[in-house]
Amino acid sequence: MKKALRLAPLVLGLLLLASAALAQPAALKLPPPGKTDKCPVCGMFVAKYKDWLAYAVLTDGKLLYFDGPKDMFRFVADPGHYLSGFKKEQIAELYVSEFYSLKPILAQDAFYVAGSDAYGPMGHELVPLATQADAEAFRKDHKGKRVLRYGDITPALLKALD
Amino acid sequence: MSSLERQRAFLDYTLASLVRRKAKNGALVLAYALVVFLIASVMFFSRALRTEGQAVLAGAPELVVQRMLAGRFDTIPASYADSIRRIRGVSEVEPRLWGYYFNRAVGATFTVLGLPDFAHADDEIVAGPAAAKAWTNLQDGRYLFRTFKGDSTGFKPVQVLPEETRLVSADLLIMSETAFRQVFGLPEGQYTDLAVTVRNPQEMQTVTEKIQREHPDTRPIQREEILRTYESVFEWRGGMVIVVFAGAALAFFIFAWDKATGLSAEERHEIGILKALGWDTADVLVMKFWEGLAISLTSFLLGTIAAYAHVFLADAGLFAQALKGWSVLYVDFPLSPVVSPTELLALFFLSVAPYTFITVIPAWRAAITDPDTVMRAS
Repeated sequence: MKKALRLAPLVLGLLLLASAALAQPAALKLPPPGKTDKCPVCGMFVAKYKDWLAYAVLTDGKLLYFDGPKDMFRFVADPGHYLSGFKKEQIAELYVSEFYSLKPILAQDAFYVAGSDAYGPMGHELVPLATQADAEAFRKDHKGKRVLRYGDITPALLKALD
Repeated sequence: MSSLERQRAFLDYTLASLVRRKAKNGALVLAYALVVFLIASVMFFSRALRTEGQAVLAGAPELVVQRMLAGRFDTIPASYADSIRRIRGVSEVEPRLWGYYFNRAVGATFTVLGLPDFAHADDEIVAGPAAAKAWTNLQDGRYLFRTFKGDSTGFKPVQVLPEETRLVSADLLIMSETAFRQVFGLPEGQYTDLAVTVRNPQEMQTVTEKIQREHPDTRPIQREEILRTYESVFEWRGGMVIVVFAGAALAFFIFAWDKATGLSAEERHEIGILKALGWDTADVLVMKFWEGLAISLTSFLLGTIAAYAHVFLADAGLFAQALKGWSVLYVDFPLSPVVSPTELLALFFLSVAPYTFITVIPAWRAAITDPDTVMRAS
């Protein structure tokens, strides 16, 4: 009994820790890239281009950085091509940096504007925005062509982007 | 004899021959070093100021919006802040209250800042380190202000800002927003300007254009523009000082040119003797090259070291007033010693290299003539 009482705070603490880990906001889960982190698609160091950063959280907790949503989509379409043996199933979550706030948002939630005059480190980009209204406004301000959702972005479309 | 030893022997001879004409060469080195010193001082000083300025501006807002009235800077209503906040890409708009207060009793201008969330009471004031020292007309330990109406109010000093912040806070006085409006008569809802934060630098231009379109009577100023203006101001000031010293530099160059291009009878005589002793033309040239190098390098090093000491140890006492700025209360801060290697290299090549080479030409002319003629002519 005495022993159980002594353990109680520890158990409680562990429980709290676990719940905190589950409810972790995106910013905590996505540490900024180090100097040597490279984009697996183009091979560039990503630390210099934080404003366009895209992330893939892997099922084993590891993190991949891309220097723009475009490269992230390329990777997702054919991961084995860029990292040999890599399976699509190893990706748990995808994040892109929202254009206005530069905060990471879930790639599936974002609205992407194609054909705008805002260039990323890899040239033409799919500019991620948080809402439909933001995307429309951005498209108007930056002479974008169209607004796309996650599902609309196909390898053929990526090819046409450059 | 190896070529290194040979060069050493040449250098040995050259230095001995320089020492033989101590007074003349000493004067030359001194004048030369003085010119290098002046130019290097200006260079070091403006570089240090620019670095300092950049450090200050790094903390400045990326975008400041001012309202213009008939081409003059005017106060901006709070409603502008609300509409600018609605622009996409703007993450924060902070209306600011600041101004200048001229204290007639001490004859100095102070920068006054009004904060809405001032941590102290409305009749209390926080002062920058230099301002606290300069504000000497106290009444019962209170800072006395003349308000816009002509009556006076006192503020109790509660805190002096730390010394480390002095470049930005030296002449600064901070009071509450209410107190600021009382002293300067600024109506409620009016602010000096707006500090706008735009998270994505790529969106800065679009935001600026939108503000201009929505409020045509405003002037948005990007931090980059301020940086550029500072750059050109420092360049201009530095240029002005260099122009002032250009006279001195020119006088020296004429003197150096005269000394370097025309050989004195004594020197021609020396060359004649050396040739008669069996020296080659090449040997004479090497000797003269070492001589020019010894003089110009010594002067260059003396000048730059003196300039370094002058600027970074003695705070550029000679021309700080000309370079620093217009404010009555001079900001007193030690300059962080930053030296740009490129500029130093440019100075080196502009001083050492030409001198070394112009001394060789006349020596070559004397050295190719027959020793007999040279000695007979003198």
